[in-house]
Amino acid sequence: MQVNPVIEKELKIKMRGWKAPTLITVYLGFLGLIVFLNFLGSKVISPNNVTQFNPPIALNSYYSLATFQLLMLAFITPAMTGGAISGERERQTLDLLLCTNLSPFSVVIGKIFVSIAHVILLIAASLPILGTVFLYGGIGITDLLVLFAFYLATAIMLGSMGIFYSSIFKRSSVSMIMSYITVLFLLFGTIIIYGIWSSIFSNNTGIPPGIGHTMAFMFPNPIYGFGSILYGSSYGAGIPGGLSGIISTVIPMSGSVYGGNTPNTTFPMFLGIQFKPWMANITFDLIVSFLFIFVSTIRIQPAKRFRLRIRRKKSQLEAQIIPKN
Amino acid sequence: MLVIENLVKRYGKFKAVDGLSLEIDKGHIYGFVGPNGAGKTTTMKIIAGLLKPTQGRVIVNGTDVSVDPRGVKRKIGYMPDFFGVYDDLKVTEYMNFYCGVYHIPRPERRKITGQLLDLVDLSVKKDAYVDSLSRGMKQRLCLARSLIHNPELLILDEPASGLDPRARIEMKEILKELKGMGKTILISSHILPELAEVCSSIGIIEHGKMVVSGTVDEILKKTAKKKTIRIRTLDNLESALKYIEEQPSMSGISINSDFIDADFDGNSQILSEILKGMVMNGIPVTSFSELEGSLESVFMHLTEGGIQDAS
Ligand SMILES: Nc1ncnc2c1ncn2[C@@H]1O[C@H](COP(=O)(O)OP(=O)(O)O)[C@@H](O)[C@H]1O
Ligand SMILES: [Mg+2]
Repeated sequence: MQVNPVIEKELKIKMRGWKAPTLITVYLGFLGLIVFLNFLGSKVISPNNVTQFNPPIALNSYYSLATFQLLMLAFITPAMTGGAISGERERQTLDLLLCTNLSPFSVVIGKIFVSIAHVILLIAASLPILGTVFLYGGIGITDLLVLFAFYLATAIMLGSMGIFYSSIFKRSSVSMIMSYITVLFLLFGTIIIYGIWSSIFSNNTGIPPGIGHTMAFMFPNPIYGFGSILYGSSYGAGIPGGLSGIISTVIPMSGSVYGGNTPNTTFPMFLGIQFKPWMANITFDLIVSFLFIFVSTIRIQPAKRFRLRIRRKKSQLEAQIIPKN
Repeated sequence: MLVIENLVKRYGKFKAVDGLSLEIDKGHIYGFVGPNGAGKTTTMKIIAGLLKPTQGRVIVNGTDVSVDPRGVKRKIGYMPDFFGVYDDLKVTEYMNFYCGVYHIPRPERRKITGQLLDLVDLSVKKDAYVDSLSRGMKQRLCLARSLIHNPELLILDEPASGLDPRARIEMKEILKELKGMGKTILISSHILPELAEVCSSIGIIEHGKMVVSGTVDEILKKTAKKKTIRIRTLDNLESALKYIEEQPSMSGISINSDFIDADFDGNSQILSEILKGMVMNGIPVTSFSELEGSLESVFMHLTEGGIQDAS
């Protein structure tokens, strides 16, 4: 297996010099600060004047960091990918790639990889900080891994979406704007639509919509999947505070949306397991990424071949008959 | 080596390339001349597998582009008329990147890069950033890039455009060297004299059609002197034909239902003498004119372009 040259080159450019290490350091420092402030702000002083540890506070930091990273992911990835293909067009370097034997698929995959690499690197580097929460219990290593897988799927989806727009539109600015509109729609548009629908539904039937209904509207929303991961992971913790309070404010029906703390019965069963919102969300991400990648590959294919096989064989024969000069 | 058969490329109703045919033998340098918008770039992009032809075939050393585009891409090196370079990349890294793109094994990359940079005279710049290079150097770097996989056929789209005279000479020297290496080259320009020196054959293309094609000598002979004159008469076209045939400056005479075409080789004074003679001999001439779009006018067009460009 050869390293994808697009990945190799762009990583070389991106990791050159002090930029990347500085960014990681600053970022980790920032996350550390959030954790520190969280502890500081809700320090628990016991009666005999000793600072005590408090698991809910540790969880609070975890929620805040996790939510912060999700938002970072959602808003940085489109900026990184939006110009990936259109930028090559604008810089007139795309033809130089496509006239070689490098397949359009390699170009697309390489571009997606490179553009999400930065964000994923930041998130991976932050896992140990998220892991400080282990010290206090409440979060298990599986929770952390599920969260990371969720980030990864979301990044892949947003990355391939950026590439998709970038291959559709000639100008990077247009494709970036389209990416952001789509991100905003996924994050908030789905909630608004669901909110309107559910109030009409409740008015008409007199009962609140069920989990199945919610899922049918909200499955593309990263916040929805994310919320279910947070709720699923906390052992009986209430609605998380801090940054992740956003979730509980923007989704008024948060408790019922995630199935609250009664995870055993509420979710639809699928292949013998509970199909939780984050699973629906990750499934959506992967299917949509596949489609985005497929269309982008077709879009940059230089001389698209839609000929019939029979005609191909015929001209192949003719080509052989023509003597070599 | 390269065979193009009846190539057509349409953009909507507009035909950018219109029934173009062409053949280049191995080891030859073929100059593709035509004014801007003639269809040179379009044709070259089709050969390079970057555009799909509407009709017709392109065969590179036995491989049909529309049947096996990747097979063709292995055999050709393409240098576009306009191209960019990546920022933040050094010359050797740039070459290394395209080595990777062409699946050159890592151990060989350094050697190939060294040889090619030597060839295009960029060895001294190997640690410079590509976006700091001059236009001529970028052009040469792009040429080196197109040679990485040792292609048999080179497609160079206006490699000398935008270069100062010195850079043009350097480019010419490199082309001669490539010819010496046995490469087949298709090179385009909108200036005829620029190509005449390096090319073995030339094709003049206008409005997507091949106007004339042949060896440099043939073309120069054809284009330099001859004009085509079309003569119409009221009647008695035969007497006109007889008179024209007697003129030493007229050749290649053809008679049609109501007009005669003849190639004329001479100056305007001789031309006016001929017309005078015809009238005095009682031939009822109604029209006596130089044919529009004749080779001469194409050539004038091209050479004018050249003068402007060089100034
Ligand atoms: N993508 C396109 N859509 C429509 N017309 C095009 C396109 N590309 C080229 N053309 C037209 O095709 C003609 C041939 O262009 P080109 O091959 O670039 O000419 P040349 O390289 O000889 O200057 C021009 O008139 C140009 O305007
Ligand atoms: Mg051109």
